Amino acid sequence: MTLRDLAVGRAQRGPLGRRREFGLLLVVAVTLVAGSASLRAGSASLAANGGVGLPGGSATASPGSTWLADPVALAWFIGGLFVAHLILVLSRRRTDQVLLPTVGLLGGISLLLMERLPQDLAGGLGLGRTQLVWLLLSIGLVAGVGALVRSDAWLRLYKYSWAAVGIGLLLLTFVFGHDVNGQRLTLSIGPLSGQPSELIKIILVVFLAAYLSENRPLLIEESTRVGPLRLPPLPYLAPMIAMWAIALAVVIVQRDLGAAFLFFAVFLLLLYVATARASFVVLGFLAFVAGGVVLYQLVPHVRVRVDIWLDPFATASGTGYQVVQALHAFARGGLLGTGFGAGLPVVGGVLPIPALHTDFPFAALGEELGLVGILGILGLYLVVIERGFRIAASAADDFRALLATGLSLIIGVQAFIIAAGNLKLIPLTGITLPFISYGGSSLVTSGLVIGLLIALSDRGPELPAADHRRGGPRFREASEAPA
Amino acid sequence: MAIWLLRLLFLAGLYLFLWNVVRVLLRDLRAAAQEPGIELGRLVVLSSPAGEPPIGATFSLDAVTTLGRDVNASIVLDDEFVSNLHAALTYRGRIWYLEDLGSTNGSYVNGSLVDGIAPLVFGDELQFGDVRLRLERAHR
Amino acid sequence: MRVALSLAVAFGGLAAGAAYWQVFRSAELSSSPDDAAVIAASRRVVRGEITDRDGVRLAWSVVDGNGELQRRYAGPWTSGVVGYASRAFGTAGLERTYDAQLSGITAPDPVQDLVKKFRSNALDPQAIRTTLVARLQQAAVKALGGDRGAIVMLDPRTGDVLVLASTPVFDASAIANPATATAAFARLQADPAVPLLPRATQGRYVPGSVFKIVTAIAALGSGSVTPATTFPQQPGAEKNGLLVAGYRVKDAHHLSTGSTALDLIGATEVSCNIWYALAGLETGGDALAAWATKLGFGAPIPFDLRTATSQVTNGGGTFGGGFADEVELANAAYGQAETVVTPLQMALVAGVIANGGVMMRPHLVQAFTGTTGTVEVGPDVWQRVLAPDLAEAIRAAMTQAVEGRLGRQFTSGARVKGMIVAGKSGTAQLGGPDAPNSWFIGFAPAEAPQIAIAVVVEQGGYGSDRAAPIAGALLAAWKAWAGR
Repeated sequence: MTLRDLAVGRAQRGPLGRRREFGLLLVVAVTLVAGSASLRAGSASLAANGGVGLPGGSATASPGSTWLADPVALAWFIGGLFVAHLILVLSRRRTDQVLLPTVGLLGGISLLLMERLPQDLAGGLGLGRTQLVWLLLSIGLVAGVGALVRSDAWLRLYKYSWAAVGIGLLLLTFVFGHDVNGQRLTLSIGPLSGQPSELIKIILVVFLAAYLSENRPLLIEESTRVGPLRLPPLPYLAPMIAMWAIALAVVIVQRDLGAAFLFFAVFLLLLYVATARASFVVLGFLAFVAGGVVLYQLVPHVRVRVDIWLDPFATASGTGYQVVQALHAFARGGLLGTGFGAGLPVVGGVLPIPALHTDFPFAALGEELGLVGILGILGLYLVVIERGFRIAASAADDFRALLATGLSLIIGVQAFIIAAGNLKLIPLTGITLPFISYGGSSLVTSGLVIGLLIALSDRGPELPAADHRRGGPRFREASEAPA
Repeated sequence: MAIWLLRLLFLAGLYLFLWNVVRVLLRDLRAAAQEPGIELGRLVVLSSPAGEPPIGATFSLDAVTTLGRDVNASIVLDDEFVSNLHAALTYRGRIWYLEDLGSTNGSYVNGSLVDGIAPLVFGDELQFGDVRLRLERAHR
Repeated sequence: MRVALSLAVAFGGLAAGAAYWQVFRSAELSSSPDDAAVIAASRRVVRGEITDRDGVRLAWSVVDGNGELQRRYAGPWTSGVVGYASRAFGTAGLERTYDAQLSGITAPDPVQDLVKKFRSNALDPQAIRTTLVARLQQAAVKALGGDRGAIVMLDPRTGDVLVLASTPVFDASAIANPATATAAFARLQADPAVPLLPRATQGRYVPGSVFKIVTAIAALGSGSVTPATTFPQQPGAEKNGLLVAGYRVKDAHHLSTGSTALDLIGATEVSCNIWYALAGLETGGDALAAWATKLGFGAPIPFDLRTATSQVTNGGGTFGGGFADEVELANAAYGQAETVVTPLQMALVAGVIANGGVMMRPHLVQAFTGTTGTVEVGPDVWQRVLAPDLAEAIRAAMTQAVEGRLGRQFTSGARVKGMIVAGKSGTAQLGGPDAPNSWFIGFAPAEAPQIAIAVVVEQGGYGSDRAAPIAGALLAAWKAWAGR
């Protein structure tokens, strides 16, 4: 079609079977069936042992199945994965084949976990079924975006518009949003409600990738000297810092520490990837430490979080309760875990950790799957990161490279922040574990991220970017041409 | 006991998946490692009225690459509006630069005339005479 | 590439963190009484029984009118050691420490613990046979009567704790009974005598003269003083006190020993503050603090129940060993100044002399018994503190303090017919108008000790008046029990 196709050589592509993806999806399906059977057996044996039943009725106790927990939901989910696979096959693009099965396995684990928890944690359909709907939507986005998005110009060209949209969303949330658990994160428009800060992550990465790729030479080449430090030219950094500062300020006003930390880490890492200047990272880190100290002094909310982190056992029955109970959950899991459905003891009709499905799924998995299980899950996240970085490394231009890096950083850093918070390695912040935590906004965003990564991994045709068409040069007749 | 078989089966499935993925990743890495040399970037020919170089050809770039009609140029551009030694691409400190070597008709980056020397980003479109090329990141 | 590497390192950190909590801290946290699984199990399982060493039941479970389980206790005299297990107010004492074993969450045998996961019914409640003697425990609570105080009796040869009494006592059954729990607990919490404080392990008292045994151990052990050491300035200072850096160390009005310069035995027999102050100064702050640490001061004692920390000084001083100056050291040497101790700690000090300088780790449990068998808990050497000959010298001095011509007039109450008792009384001045705490520590039979004892009666007056007779009565009761 285009010139570039000929250059890369279309002939070497061969049939587009996506056989790897199919094979991996089969492994995923078998694994999830085994997990579902183990969940059913686990909760059945717990009930037989006179265990206290879960409050609100669990989907695992639903009649009609003797050996699988909610086979209908499982069938829908696995079916959804194969439909997504089919969509990607039909798109006839040479894109990544590992990402879909990997996030499929993560999503499946999430589905099993949500079926296993008390269903009344979510209204309407119940926790498991609601999560299923969002998971299917998310997988749909992975396939849809991965199959259909072919040009990146719409992202690259309108970076300031995107930034404006992002800031606008934040301001809207701040003014019209309502508070959930002391954080003002949720925005409702008609029947729809969501957490815009999830979308803003992607917008931030798009903006940074576009801005950095455009101004990379200037950022590397020129510098302002301040003492012994070589800083980038200030005028070029200003829009970025402004973007970052606004995001950070608003996020802190919203008391969403996790998102602030995530934005900051992704920002610094992308800056480093774009410029290879360690001084940025050092400076940013110092700014982070200084900011942290100031926040600790000024914001009571932050101080509470940090104090809990330093010694949760001191307030084990008060503010440190959740963190301590999470550590107990990890401890109960041990090496092999208690098995799906057999952990998370219910005392007096309540789970040991209240926000288990949103903030502590990692602890729940640590208990039920053990060290072996969560090491595997960490491995899945590492696979996502590795694929993202590979896609970045083979991207044709800087924008795509930085975008792919930033997108995989979103998943990786976010998983790290919440897992480390659960494990008391860093202060706990209320962000979600990608593809596993309960919640529509998070699942949709993560699906979008993976879909974009798959689209970016395409080595096939793309439409030439529009800005390259702008007013070409006019030539003089060059009779004296050889100079 | 049967429960434990199921539980271990699930964990085994998880690791079977990881093992399969790691095999794929290693294969990709090995394939990447076998590609010779370290490429700094490449030029793709977008349009070339005279047919030399042909449209769609790609050139691997050295740290210093000259372009011109002269046969001694690293990349020969057979176009009547191109000077003998028209321009040079140089790679310094992680950045590509385009230097116009005093050509008659000038060099253009994304449609703008280059005055002396200009830094480039991957994806930029270069034009010398009627020949248009695009600078791309090397495939690693 | 570096970014990829640093992310990989970060995830490695996650793996290490997970391994830390799931492997290294796993056993400790998952069997802790705060663990949700332990609490959940303890609600639906028939808890194991707790008995004394002869099988007398101290705590057991009954099914109440609502078909729910609740705990019963043999009597209020168990309260200081067995504690309580209540649905509303959690657990205390042995019920707290061994919550996981009593409700069957953890087996004491690590192999059983590993395979229990694979059994269909994972809960195996363990019964606990303690080292206590119900009859003596009852006698100890009775002897303290209406006073606040604590008594510890232990076998110096094994570390078996036979008596661990704390008064005032409380009715643990009332806390375990859901119908009465709230009122009973509120009343206990409001009681100014703090009955919920287990004084034997967590009460911190000024020791007074019983601390002289610690000073003797440090002085002889460090070699600064020998059993024959005398101080020429001592007799002269008896009347007007000994001037230490401008402060006058005065003696209590001990029986006149005239112009004789006392040695270790003589000074211990009459409880001479001046000799011990001089011995303490001779030993030095560093050595006194170091030897006290060897005896278990400065850190909670490893025991089946939570223990408070005993100390010789508040620390922070620059004089050596944390003492502020010579004056504090001289006062600490005879158990005043900033020195505070737990009754359990002082029973161990008596025990180390009784056992020839070797301190056994104190323990309360003889055996755990579940469906998979019985696991015995054996004796365990904790610290080798003192050479046998030096322990023998102090043993002789303590014998003289009870049985000697002058000592007998002091502590006659501690004597037991047909058995030689060794010991040391103490009268700990509290400052202010309050009556002093009354102390006695000792062991018997003096020639081949089998039982060590520590008695403290809060504001009980002179050691010889209150604590020593209680010790005598209990040692007699022990003799009757042991010789059955």
